[in-house]
Amino acid sequence: MGKNVLLVDDSKTMRIIIGRSLRQAGLDFDNIFEAADGLEALEVLEKESVDIVLSDINMPNMDGISFLREKSSREAMKDIPVLMISTETGEDIIGEAKSLGAVGAIKKPFTPDKVNEVLGPLL
Amino acid sequence: MNVGQAIIDGTEEVFTTMLMVELETGVPVQGSGGEVDSNITSMLGLGGADIRGMLAVHCPEIVAKDITGTFLGMEVEELDDDVKDAIGEIANMIAGNLKIFFQEHDKNIELAIPTTVVGKSFRTAGMSKAERVAVPFTMNGATFLVELKYMDVV
Repeated sequence: MGKNVLLVDDSKTMRIIIGRSLRQAGLDFDNIFEAADGLEALEVLEKESVDIVLSDINMPNMDGISFLREKSSREAMKDIPVLMISTETGEDIIGEAKSLGAVGAIKKPFTPDKVNEVLGPLL
Repeated sequence: MNVGQAIIDGTEEVFTTMLMVELETGVPVQGSGGEVDSNITSMLGLGGADIRGMLAVHCPEIVAKDITGTFLGMEVEELDDDVKDAIGEIANMIAGNLKIFFQEHDKNIELAIPTTVVGKSFRTAGMSKAERVAVPFTMNGATFLVELKYMDVV
């Protein structure tokens, strides 16, 4: 596929499961980068070429909403799409995420089919 | 508002979707609880303008290892950081489903980040006026408990 993805979640288990779901959905990325919070995600985006970000919302240090806000202020990374993967489904918080540039949301728990359905058209 | 059924529905969805495991579901228990037979417990605070509370997932060691091993696709030898992380994420997803349930009843809550502790026996204290509902589930022959304490904010 020739694309790179960044997984942002404070749970290592969840990062492993999302990565596995990508493969099960037939979405093979050249590189799967990982970050445990928004701060680490910004560091990865500064250094690596990333085509899309899958991010949790509730995280320590810098949550997903703050990450979106900070990312949108940085010229070099503001256009990289971000898909939220979170237990948060409320219209208020998802609406805020979308207003800050998130391109969609997947609710946890999820299936590989759901990941493919939402993420596939974005690639 | 059937909170016990919401715990059942929310927990079963997490296990069938993420672990491909069908749980045996016990009868919800209401009222104060004593010590819980558990080796690892993950707790999550619920806050907000309408409801305040705490969700806890209590697991014996064998269940915690089984859940983590199924999640990660590997044999798990001890209650290490991977197990704490996996049980925390289970609690997080169950709490997310309960958040949706409460929203459907016009009660908004915010979820904290899970805290997971390892020990031999647990008793949750505090929130003396809170409602308590606990549901036992059995996975591969061993039982774990999902406990919710909650109270309306006045």
